[in-house]
Amino acid sequence: MKIECIKDKLRNAVTQAERLTGKNLSLPILASILIEAKGSKLHIRATNLDLGIELELPVKVEEEGKVAISGSLLNNVLSLLDGDDKIKLETVNDNIVISTKKSSTLVKCFPADDFPTIPRVTDGSEFTITSQKLVLGLRSVWYAASLSDMKPEISSVHVYSEGGEFIFVATDSFRLAEKHIEKKGEGGDDLSIIIPYRNAVELIRIFEGITDHVTVLYTKNQVSFVSEVYGLHITSRLTAGVFPNYRQIVPKEKKTEACIMKKDLLSALKMATLFTDKFNVIAMKIMPVERLCEVTAKNGDVGESVSQLDATLEGDDLQANFNAKYILDSFQSIKEDSIVITGSGPSKPLVIRGIGDNTFLYLVMPINR
Amino acid sequence: MPDTKKLWDEALLEIELIISKANFTTWFKNTHICHYDDGVVNVSVPNEFVKEWMLTKYHKCILKALRDKHQSVRSVDFVIQKDEDKQRPQKLMIQDEALYSDQMHFPELYVSKEDNLNPKYTFETLVIGPFNELAVAASQSVLKNLGTTYNPLFIYGGTGLGKTHLIQAIGNQLKKNDANKKIFYITSERWATDLVDSIRNNKIHLFKEKYRKYDLLIIDDIQFISGKDKTEEELFHLFNSYHDNNKQIIFSSDKPPRAIIGLEERLRTRFEGGMMVDISQPEYETRLEILRTKAKGSHIMPPEDVLEYLATSIQDSVRELEGALNLIVVQSQVKNRALSVQEAKNLIKNNLKPQKTISLKDVIRVVAEFYNIEEKILYEKSRRKEIVKPRQIIMYILREDFNTSYPYIGQKMGGRDHTTVIHAYEKIKRDLKIDQLLGQEMEQIKTILYKEYRPV
Repeated sequence: MKIECIKDKLRNAVTQAERLTGKNLSLPILASILIEAKGSKLHIRATNLDLGIELELPVKVEEEGKVAISGSLLNNVLSLLDGDDKIKLETVNDNIVISTKKSSTLVKCFPADDFPTIPRVTDGSEFTITSQKLVLGLRSVWYAASLSDMKPEISSVHVYSEGGEFIFVATDSFRLAEKHIEKKGEGGDDLSIIIPYRNAVELIRIFEGITDHVTVLYTKNQVSFVSEVYGLHITSRLTAGVFPNYRQIVPKEKKTEACIMKKDLLSALKMATLFTDKFNVIAMKIMPVERLCEVTAKNGDVGESVSQLDATLEGDDLQANFNAKYILDSFQSIKEDSIVITGSGPSKPLVIRGIGDNTFLYLVMPINR
Repeated sequence: MPDTKKLWDEALLEIELIISKANFTTWFKNTHICHYDDGVVNVSVPNEFVKEWMLTKYHKCILKALRDKHQSVRSVDFVIQKDEDKQRPQKLMIQDEALYSDQMHFPELYVSKEDNLNPKYTFETLVIGPFNELAVAASQSVLKNLGTTYNPLFIYGGTGLGKTHLIQAIGNQLKKNDANKKIFYITSERWATDLVDSIRNNKIHLFKEKYRKYDLLIIDDIQFISGKDKTEEELFHLFNSYHDNNKQIIFSSDKPPRAIIGLEERLRTRFEGGMMVDISQPEYETRLEILRTKAKGSHIMPPEDVLEYLATSIQDSVRELEGALNLIVVQSQVKNRALSVQEAKNLIKNNLKPQKTISLKDVIRVVAEFYNIEEKILYEKSRRKEIVKPRQIIMYILREDFNTSYPYIGQKMGGRDHTTVIHAYEKIKRDLKIDQLLGQEMEQIKTILYKEYRPV
């Protein structure tokens, strides 16, 4: 193999791929990335057997060939090379020599034949979605997924389509986030997939730097995201199982409603978290009759804080304790300047939405104390 | 047909020699033969990445290894299969939960979307005792012969005795036995709302279709449909379609069909046409066992004497029993130690209903009220038939249930001779065996009597 290319372009691609290399796996080859020069393109491949990525990079190919090389090492080498922006890669006796005008680096390689191929979805259903929408959907909910591996179906993001919309949802059984994204174009009507949340995080990271239509192909076991313009192909394993029937936990009645400026509540909660224990417990009081909306936190060792908020209040009194972090989390998905909080009685989940925004829904259960 | 496990183990031994240890552990971990059919071996692999690599890299080598062991193997296929029974660290979870026990979960999150069943209700978690053993046996035989032996299965019993648990357990068990069976659980109230909605939206045909496609339909708390004419009619048709197609239907109710007021005759007879079983109140030993089972998962196990106290003091509902136990578990979590009996007593005393004993007067009053006659007439010497019967029933109950002496009963019932009482007792006892109506009346009187006054 012998190629010549722009250093920064190669480095970007390698950085993307390197994140998906397998760590802590018994097979060392998985910690490496495969680079293959073919036609006028350089193909870069990495996988951790859960998520796999394949990138294409237009380069000047003088001689075709492929090598597997330690991902982190290559990444570090590329980031430390300075000077000239053009670099050459050439294989010499199973090793690769990376050279610029001023320097030459030899890196040991692994036999490329041992590098696994990335499966491609060929016989599944498909649809297209813009990368912005895909990222928005995943980003709005992923943080609510359970971090524990105990129940794989909820340490995942569930994506399905209903009534001309794609619905993204995640929950860890304490709180739940749901985002509706408008569906355009054909296909995807029978979509119902559960993406492991770690893979969802990587998908967000990869696609946020891209503006393109993404083709999504899916079967029961895996899903692929393809961007032709960027020569990008990502395949993720899907979580087996059924996502829980969360619709029935969404409270149907409103007993208490408060409309609060987002920045007011944000600073009140941030202030409160200075005085919470390790469970981030804050007490929230919404008393429409006394026209009082209050956030309190108390910590025997540190002190206590009470913040009163200007808010429009309606309905019955509501007093409950919450994990402040769970409430704060939802703010990243709310773009509006005001937040509507709805309660439906004690021991019932609290509903949080942006004002006038029906696409995002957040539920959080109180703390029993 | 070769022993697939042995075959795969032997093949693996051979493959292990050919490829590197790292490769072997990466790719061949969690694989097994899941199916063997006419020379085609299906190897189950954990995910698509492994499948792809097996196909491109190890296909030949696996086939060769298998064929060496067994001549009939012609080809190898790979299927993706999750290890369902993967041992999950249960213990860790319990610890986690103890840590977060204050943070409430969404309560109904784990109800499955397709069949509405709550997976926590299973036969394994059901405590079986004399009070429900017949119902459980009937459920088991329904599972064995779905739709044929007992159709419908009608389970009735008071509130909080585990009817819902039992009928959902049937559904969950069937799901486990046969994943292809379509099961649906619904409360009669939801079903009725669904019906009303579909009528309003002119989608009654969709409604009919939706509820007729299941192999097992479970309708909980059927007593609530009584008096709703259209709903009863729809249920009647639904029932017929299930019955005619030999598909199983299960009902639960808080009383037997004939005691559901306002239920149409044709429905009542149909409910009674299959198998009717009741769940009665658990006796002391079962109550204790229930408490032990429920307390097992908790952070601090309440001591045995506390459980015994609970089992003695709360008698007629498993749900109340659970509530009291939860109270104690939560309290001991707060205090971070087990509670003593005295503390438990103080804690649950507000939850207990005041207890009263049944006096002789109460028996007389309840029977008199039941037959709608004045109490004092009973003490008189009247021999009118409508007076004699209640009088004899009172004597019978006093003797049978309270073991009162004959002379004392006679004395209290207007100064009668003890032989009169003996005669009355013997007569009712004899009549009960032949007169069904009398039996029903006796049942109803006793229900009223013991509902009002809980025996100590």
